[in-house]
Amino acid sequence: MAVFQAALLNELEKLYKKKKVLVAILLSLAVIVIGQLVIVGVRSGFGLRGTGSVEFPMLVLSVVVNTILPLFTALVAIDSFSGEFTQNSMRITLTRPVSRFKIYTAKITSIVLFILGALLLLLVFSLLAGFIFNTNSATLDSLGRTVFSYFVSLLPLTVLALAIALLANIFKSGIAVFFVSILTFLALKVLGVLFSQYSSLFLTTQLDWYNLFLVNSFPILKILRQFLIMLGSGIMLFTAGFYIFDKKEF
Amino acid sequence: MKFKKKSVMLVSFTVGTLLLATTALADIASKSGYDELKGAIKLTTEQASEKFDSFTLDYSMALKDNGKTLESSNETLKVDRTKDASENISSGLSLNGDKRSSQSYSDKTTMIRVSENDPTYYVTEFTKERKDDPFTNPFKEDEAADVEKIVDAIVGSLKDHVVVTENTDGSKAITGSLTEVQIPSLVNAVASFQLKQEFNNQNSNQNNSKMPRLTKDVFVKEVKGSAKVNADGVMESILGTAVLSGKDEQGTVHDISLEALVKVTGINTTTVTKPDLTGKKVVKDIARYGDAEMSNPEKFVGKFKNDIIIEKDSKFVKVGERFVDITQIDGKSVEGRYYSEFKPGFEEYATSLSSFKFEAKFEQEQKTSANFEGTNDSGDKVRGHIYLSEYEGQVNFNIDNFNGSFGRGLMFNSSFSPVLD
Repeated sequence: MAVFQAALLNELEKLYKKKKVLVAILLSLAVIVIGQLVIVGVRSGFGLRGTGSVEFPMLVLSVVVNTILPLFTALVAIDSFSGEFTQNSMRITLTRPVSRFKIYTAKITSIVLFILGALLLLLVFSLLAGFIFNTNSATLDSLGRTVFSYFVSLLPLTVLALAIALLANIFKSGIAVFFVSILTFLALKVLGVLFSQYSSLFLTTQLDWYNLFLVNSFPILKILRQFLIMLGSGIMLFTAGFYIFDKKEF
Repeated sequence: MKFKKKSVMLVSFTVGTLLLATTALADIASKSGYDELKGAIKLTTEQASEKFDSFTLDYSMALKDNGKTLESSNETLKVDRTKDASENISSGLSLNGDKRSSQSYSDKTTMIRVSENDPTYYVTEFTKERKDDPFTNPFKEDEAADVEKIVDAIVGSLKDHVVVTENTDGSKAITGSLTEVQIPSLVNAVASFQLKQEFNNQNSNQNNSKMPRLTKDVFVKEVKGSAKVNADGVMESILGTAVLSGKDEQGTVHDISLEALVKVTGINTTTVTKPDLTGKKVVKDIARYGDAEMSNPEKFVGKFKNDIIIEKDSKFVKVGERFVDITQIDGKSVEGRYYSEFKPGFEEYATSLSSFKFEAKFEQEQKTSANFEGTNDSGDKVRGHIYLSEYEGQVNFNIDNFNGSFGRGLMFNSSFSPVLD
């Protein structure tokens, strides 16, 4: 465990040292500021309320979970694998007395922690903006559901990170991975609209699964099914990704 | 060790695949509440338009502002398919406070209307039996499948908000409710903008409307719905409520709610009775319009005319007369001549379109209208359209490319009245 912790710390430090984290923070804040400006504009321009204090974080989540969060997940995951493959710094990591399984797990964990950090940042700042600039519409129930929605969004994003890590291990070039990911993402989005009866199987639809937790009746069966689908695909992707990573020669 | 790692990976990959496959299949097979709702609506409309011999459809709607009724309407439609008869009773309160109530009855040969503020029975008798299906199935329309797909896509993740509870007798209750957090912000914004415009437009059209004018902080507060489906899968009632909240100029908060209830009752037990007209004040008329075939087209043989008018020195001046002279007509075609006569001093207005002969074949469906083609005195082709209006006792005669004459202030009127003296 101590070895894994060291590997994870190592990965986190590498992540932290990169400018991408700073860019992620700035972009997240920009989304909140722009979103709030749009809401204020709509309110004074069209006479609509736009959002209340709790709806604003939900609006932010619905936007970022389909745009900048997958994008940053992809960038960080690609950087963590393809970047190190091409710079040959992966060799340095591998020369340490750490098994490849632990390195792979540490890399994935650091990406997940990055996503969690981004979600928390968005949650805190959008809640702040929501309460400062919007009419109060919060109840304990809706506030709880909002916070919960942010946390459950971590799961589909983790699956996404695993999928991109697999792609990064298949293709050598980071740019290729990036384009394949984006094209697949868009294709799945379109397929989700065209075949709406099967859309719950697509990862792009699962990104919106936090909506299930907002339903009054709490559709536990549906949530369980979605959870198992994500768990199943997560296990598959992790195993496949690790298999290739394990077999790779540097 | 190497072997062990491989088998662990194999096992975990298999477990993942199985987990994904089984739940995916279960997910596709599971019918969501939304699907059940859709199925029930489809089945009900299909049965109502094809299978039921008779039924009663109750529809009521109320628009309330902070609990005070602004507008309401109640409608009861009784349909008896075996007799091809239907009865409609409607009453309501309009936005400017007027109450209304009326009743109508319709079968193959008659239509009877009466309203509360005018106790006269208006009876229309049809010379021919008409085919009037009182209820058509909207899902049988051509574009229904596409519309359904679009609606499915729009509803998207909101599908999961529909909940079905099954009762012991096989009937089901379908409910759904959305509050402001659950409605996606974009949907909420677009919907509230639309509704705000709609309400405010209505306001400006009606002066003494009681509808509050919302200007600030408009949003959709709540959308609720519930439906009852009986053991046969037929929807017996559906109730929907939507609440729009906003502030008016003075800053007062208004919660405007719209409630609609549709009920289907008396399946195969509804009877439609023709109103008893004995001792009532009755106004009768025979339906001419909507009757495709003219009974005696010969009545249109003869001259029809109207005035040729120009605008001169800010006044209308009559400069002559136009004539349509129908010489021959039967159920298939019409023949005649069109000409203009100008008063002395205005002959300069005569154009190449001022006189020509025409011949036209009636359109298949409508035996009163036809496109004609004629030749004028100089041998050029003239095209246009003729419509014989039994209802007005007039001929409508339009010439294509007549625009050229407008420049000189010459006006064209397409209605020609018969020359009777």
